[in-house]
Amino acid sequence: MAFEYIPGQSLMHRLDPRTKVLFFLLVTVLIMVIYDPIIMFGLLCAIVLMYRLSGIPLSKLWGITKALLPVFIMFLVLNYFVIPPRGATVYFYLLPGVAPVTIETTLIGITSALRFVLFIWLSRLLTFTTSISEILIAMVKMRSPPEIATSLGIAFSSVPLMINQFSTVIQAQKSRGSQIEVRNPIKKGISFIPVVVPGIYLTILRGMNVARTVEARAFTYNPKKRTFRKKIQLSHEDYVFLMISGLFTAAAAAIRVLYGWFDYTFILRDVLKLI
Amino acid sequence: MWLAMTSRAPVISCKGLAYKYPGATDPSLNGIDLEVKRGEIVLITGPTGAGKTTLCSTFNGLVPHFYGGRLEGEVTVLGRDVKETSAGYLSTKVGMLFQDPSSQLISATVEDEVAFGPENLGIPVEEIAQRTDSVLNYMELNGLRERPPFALSGGQQQAVGLASVIAMKPEILVLDEPTSNLDPVGTLSIFALLRKISREEENTIVIVEHKLQELVDIADRIVVIEGGKIRLEGPPREILAEDAVILHERGLQPPQVSLLAHKLEEAGVPIEKIPLTVSEFLDTFSGPLQALKRPVAEYQEKGSEPYQTESRPIIEVENVSFQYPGGVVAVRDVSVKFYKEDFVGIIGQNGSGKTTLVKLLNGLLKPTLGSVRVFGLDARQSPIHDLIRYVGYVFQDPDSQLFSKTVYQELSFGLKNLKVPRDQWDSRINSVAKMLLIDSLLKEAPYSLSRGDRQRVAIASVLVMEPQVVVVDEPTTGQDPRKRREIMELMKVLHDKFGKTVIFITHDMDLVAEYAKRCIVMKEGGIVLDGVPHQVFLHYEELEKTHLKPPMITLLFKELGKRYGLRRDILTVDEALGYLKSKLVS
Repeated sequence: MAFEYIPGQSLMHRLDPRTKVLFFLLVTVLIMVIYDPIIMFGLLCAIVLMYRLSGIPLSKLWGITKALLPVFIMFLVLNYFVIPPRGATVYFYLLPGVAPVTIETTLIGITSALRFVLFIWLSRLLTFTTSISEILIAMVKMRSPPEIATSLGIAFSSVPLMINQFSTVIQAQKSRGSQIEVRNPIKKGISFIPVVVPGIYLTILRGMNVARTVEARAFTYNPKKRTFRKKIQLSHEDYVFLMISGLFTAAAAAIRVLYGWFDYTFILRDVLKLI
Repeated sequence: MWLAMTSRAPVISCKGLAYKYPGATDPSLNGIDLEVKRGEIVLITGPTGAGKTTLCSTFNGLVPHFYGGRLEGEVTVLGRDVKETSAGYLSTKVGMLFQDPSSQLISATVEDEVAFGPENLGIPVEEIAQRTDSVLNYMELNGLRERPPFALSGGQQQAVGLASVIAMKPEILVLDEPTSNLDPVGTLSIFALLRKISREEENTIVIVEHKLQELVDIADRIVVIEGGKIRLEGPPREILAEDAVILHERGLQPPQVSLLAHKLEEAGVPIEKIPLTVSEFLDTFSGPLQALKRPVAEYQEKGSEPYQTESRPIIEVENVSFQYPGGVVAVRDVSVKFYKEDFVGIIGQNGSGKTTLVKLLNGLLKPTLGSVRVFGLDARQSPIHDLIRYVGYVFQDPDSQLFSKTVYQELSFGLKNLKVPRDQWDSRINSVAKMLLIDSLLKEAPYSLSRGDRQRVAIASVLVMEPQVVVVDEPTTGQDPRKRREIMELMKVLHDKFGKTVIFITHDMDLVAEYAKRCIVMKEGGIVLDGVPHQVFLHYEELEKTHLKPPMITLLFKELGKRYGLRRDILTVDEALGYLKSKLVS
C-alpha cells in the first residue's frame, strides 16, 4: 500500500512532518549536485541505515526495490541512447552504430539509476514514519483548507475497507464459477466486469454514506473553528536535524560549484587515480 | 414551576409531516404528528420501508437538507424549524447512529473515530482527550483504541459508532437499529447502556428497533409506523400486551409470551392481564398451572449427544483448522459431517468462525490443516469451479454480486461459467425463477428491484447451477421480522419440495428454533453444540457462555419445567400453544 504507516518512536517518527518535507527537499538538492556513483551508493547505504534506525523491517525495503529493478535497468540502458560520448574511448555499441558504451556513460547511467532508487527509498521512508493524520495536520498548518485535509484523511482510511469489499465481490463471483485468475489478458479483462460493476456501485454507496456521516457528525457546523486534536510542534530536535542536513547540503553544493567536485569520475579518477 | 414546565416541553415536534425523496413517486412520510419530550425514550418500530429511518433523518436535518426532496408540514427540534436550520447545526444537538455500522466509520483508528465529532464541535484538545477516554472506557473499547475500525467485527463496529455519537454529548440521541449486528447478549448490554445514559445524562433517546421484548422496560413509549403513517402509539406495556396479535399480524415481533397468552385466552383459558415477560407469565397463569403440577418431572433433560442420522454424509470436515494470512485462527480443529437431508442453522457470537467454516465447504477458503471432502472431492485439491457444482454459496449482500443488465443475464452468468450448453439455459433459468417467484422479473434490471427481490435474484443465480447444497450467509441480517420469515420460508421450500440441503447462518434464535432441523453452535472457532434444536436450546448455560440466548418461549418452559415439571423442549409459540392448550383447556 502506498501509504502504509509503521508506528514507532524513532527520530524519524518524532520529527515534525514539516521538517520531513524540508529534509526531503534538501536531500533532493543534494542528490542533484552529486554525480559520482560511488558517493551516491554511499548515500543509499545511509538511507538503509536510517531504515534500520527507524525500526522498519528491511523486507519492506526489498519489497519496494524488487518493483524498482526494471526501472533501474531502463535508466541504465536508456542513458547510452541519449548521452553523447564526450571524446572518451568507445568500448562497443549496444546496437549497431547507436548507443556507444563508454566509462562515462556507464557511470552516468549508474548514478541516475541510483538517484532514482534513492528518491523512492527516501520518500517511502518518510511515509513509513509519518501517519496520515500528521500529514493532514501539516497540511492545515500550511494553510490548506480543513475540508481538503479531512476529505483526504477519510479517503485514505477508506482504502482498506474498499479492498475488503472488493475481495467480497471477487469471492461472490468465484462462487458463481467466474474464473478471475485466467492468464489470457483479454479474457481476464472481460472476467473483471462482474467485479468492477458491483465495485463501482459499492464505491459510490461508500461515498454517499461517508458524506452523510460527516454531515451527521457536525463537520459542516463550523469547519474553520474545528479542533485538530493532534498537535505538531517543531522541537529543538527538528531544528538541529534541519541545521545539520541544511549545512551538509549547502557545503556539498558550494564545493560542487566552486571546485567542481563530485563529478561522475570524482572518486575513481580524482581521488583514487584509477582511470 | 418554570423548570417543571421546560422539562416537559417537547424537544422534537412534528405536525402534519410529509416527505418525498427526490425522484420518488410515493411519499416516504405521509402526515406524521409526533411529540417527543425531554428525557423520554421513544421506540419507533414498523416494517422495512415504513419510513422509520426517513423520520429519524428529519430530526438532524439530513432530510431535507442532505437528501433534497420536498418536506411538507412542520418539524421543530429544540425550538428550531428544521427547514430553516442547517444539518450541520442540528447535528451538534442531535446525534445520529445509522443502521449499517461499517458505513459510518470513516477514521483510521477507533480513537480518531470517537474524537471526530468533538473535533468538529471545536472543543479544546484536553477536553476531547478526556471525553474520548471516558467514552471508550464506558463502552469497554479501550483495548481497541489503535485498531482500524474496518477490521473490527460487526458488533464492535456498532459499539464504536455509538461511542462516536455519545462523545459529542448530543441532547438528543437518534439510534437506527443499533443492535442489528449484535448477538443476543451484546444487544442486552447496549440497551442497558442506553438506559444508564438516559438516567444519568437526562438525554432524550429515539430508537428504531425490531427487538421489542428487550425494550419493554426501557422505552417510555412505542410508536408503530407503517406506510409513512403512525399506526399505533402508547406505553410499551399497553401496545405490546394489548396489541400483540395486531403487531404479529403486521410482521412485527411482540414478546412471545404476550402472543402465547393471547392465543391461550382465545382458546378459552381465562386471563386477567396479558404478561410481557417470563416472570409475569408465571404470575398470570400461576392458578391454572398449579393444577398441572406433577410430582415427577415429565421431561428429563438429555445429555449432549452428537448429531446422528442413518444416511451417508455428503460433506465431511475432519480436524480442520483455518488461519487467515494475518495470523488469526478462525476455525480450530473442527470435525463435522453434513447429510443430504440437513437443514442446518449455524449460530454463534460475532467472530466465532461461522462464515469461515462455510467458506471452507465450497473451496473459497482452503483448510490450513485437516481435510474437507465434498461429494468425494478433496476440497483442498479441487478448484472452486468444480466444488460449486455441489455447494452453492449465497453471499449476504446481493449488491456485492449483481452486475448484469437484466435478471435473465444475471442468472445465466453461472451457466456460462460452468459451460452449460446454451439450449439448457432457458429451461434451467425459467424453472429456478419460478421456484423463487421472480419469473415475472427476468427482463428487469437487477439494480432497479427492491432489496428483497435482489436477494432472490442472488439466490437464484446460485441455484441455476443446480448445487445439492445451498449455503446462505446471514440472509436475515438487517431485515424486518416478516422479511426474515419470507426468506426462511423460501429455504424451507427449497429443502422440502426440491430436496436441497440447506445450511444457513443467522443471529436470530427464533428462526433457528422454528426452521432448522439441526443446529450447530460455534464458539471461538470450534463447534460446542451440534444437534436438533430441541436439544441444543436446552443447554442454557453453554449458550449463555457463547453470548446466545434461547427463544423467550424456551426460557419460559425452562421455568415451567423447574416449577411444575412440564416439558422443557418447547421452542416456538405454536408448539407452546399446542402443548399448553391440551393441558389447560381439558
